[in-house]
Amino acid sequence: MMADEQTLSRLMAAAQAGDRQAYAVLLAEARRWLLRYLARKVPPAHLDDLVQEVLVSLHAKRASYDPGRPFLPWLAAIARYRWVDHLRRSYRRAEVELGESDAAHEGDADAVMARISLDRLFGSLPRAQARAIELVKIEGHSISEAAARCGQSEPSVKVNIHRGLKRLAALIEKAD
Amino acid sequence: MKHDSNSLIDALVDELVPVRPLRRAEGGALVLAATVLTGLLVLAINGIAGNVLAGAVSPMFLLANGLLLLLGVAASASTIAMASPRVGNRHDGTGWALAMAAVFPAVTLALLAAHRADLPHLLDVAAGWHCLVEALLSSLVVAGALLLWLRRGAPVSPRTAGIHLGVAATALGTAVYGLSCPAETIYHLGIWHALPVLVGGLIGRIVVPQLLRW
Repeated sequence: MMADEQTLSRLMAAAQAGDRQAYAVLLAEARRWLLRYLARKVPPAHLDDLVQEVLVSLHAKRASYDPGRPFLPWLAAIARYRWVDHLRRSYRRAEVELGESDAAHEGDADAVMARISLDRLFGSLPRAQARAIELVKIEGHSISEAAARCGQSEPSVKVNIHRGLKRLAALIEKAD
Repeated sequence: MKHDSNSLIDALVDELVPVRPLRRAEGGALVLAATVLTGLLVLAINGIAGNVLAGAVSPMFLLANGLLLLLGVAASASTIAMASPRVGNRHDGTGWALAMAAVFPAVTLALLAAHRADLPHLLDVAAGWHCLVEALLSSLVVAGALLLWLRRGAPVSPRTAGIHLGVAATALGTAVYGLSCPAETIYHLGIWHALPVLVGGLIGRIVVPQLLRW
């Protein structure tokens, strides 16, 4: 059972004040939440690395959390920023087989989760850009394979990836 | 990353030291202090314009500097907010303030187009260029303060943050510099006191993101 929003906010405020016990609990909860949040948005082999990157960013930027506001939308903004950064990097084909994750759909009904979800962010992209990013950056296909699968020319796939990533970077705080 | 998550968490917990959360009011106070300091520097270096000293400023002066101040406050507020990211944050206020402030140079351009024959005299490029440079220099302290604030925070859209920072710093810097500028015509204020904001937004968009990556 995940800790609720109020508990997480309280733990983060305590962590900002230097409470190590609260911080250890918060990081463990944040890790669980991030595993769900980022599942199926990166190849499974990269999921743990990405979650760790977000935890390191959480640590480095913990002063930017305003204790008067909810914790999860703040963590989601940090996670989205790291995720878009992650998508920009190249993947090796051998590492990118997408697998099933039991946790992927857990909590989908939760309203806060829906508002800050990565699907919502991804849905802001034009279909062609989202598809090109999905095929090449998440599923790990080559440009030519992606072009054949989605019916776009190779230069179009490249342009759509470039434009899509640029657009994602500009929409990180977008909720609607 | 080589660590497993549990050892990473243990390491982060070991490193924990108390931090002071970023408060927007503190960011506002920082910008206010930077603006006041800019005012003192401008007055010390350039002196105060005669019409301002005599309290005989034109409505055009009040209108132009009032719009710049409003734009500066709106853009500063959004820049400060960007240091504390959150899915669901909106930063639309600056766009609307910019659109309102843009009415002034737009009217000026329309007037200049209607008086094309007199363009060189109306524009007075030598004086205008001087104001452009002085206004940009007057923006540096506020720009530095906002940059410092953003670097303490976690801006997730560095490019947008850069534009807002550039607009905020140049709008406030130009409004403060206006205290020492004796020219009050719509042609001067609508072009030469608006141009720094455009330049500031462009410089912010190009230069600032490199300084904000994390």
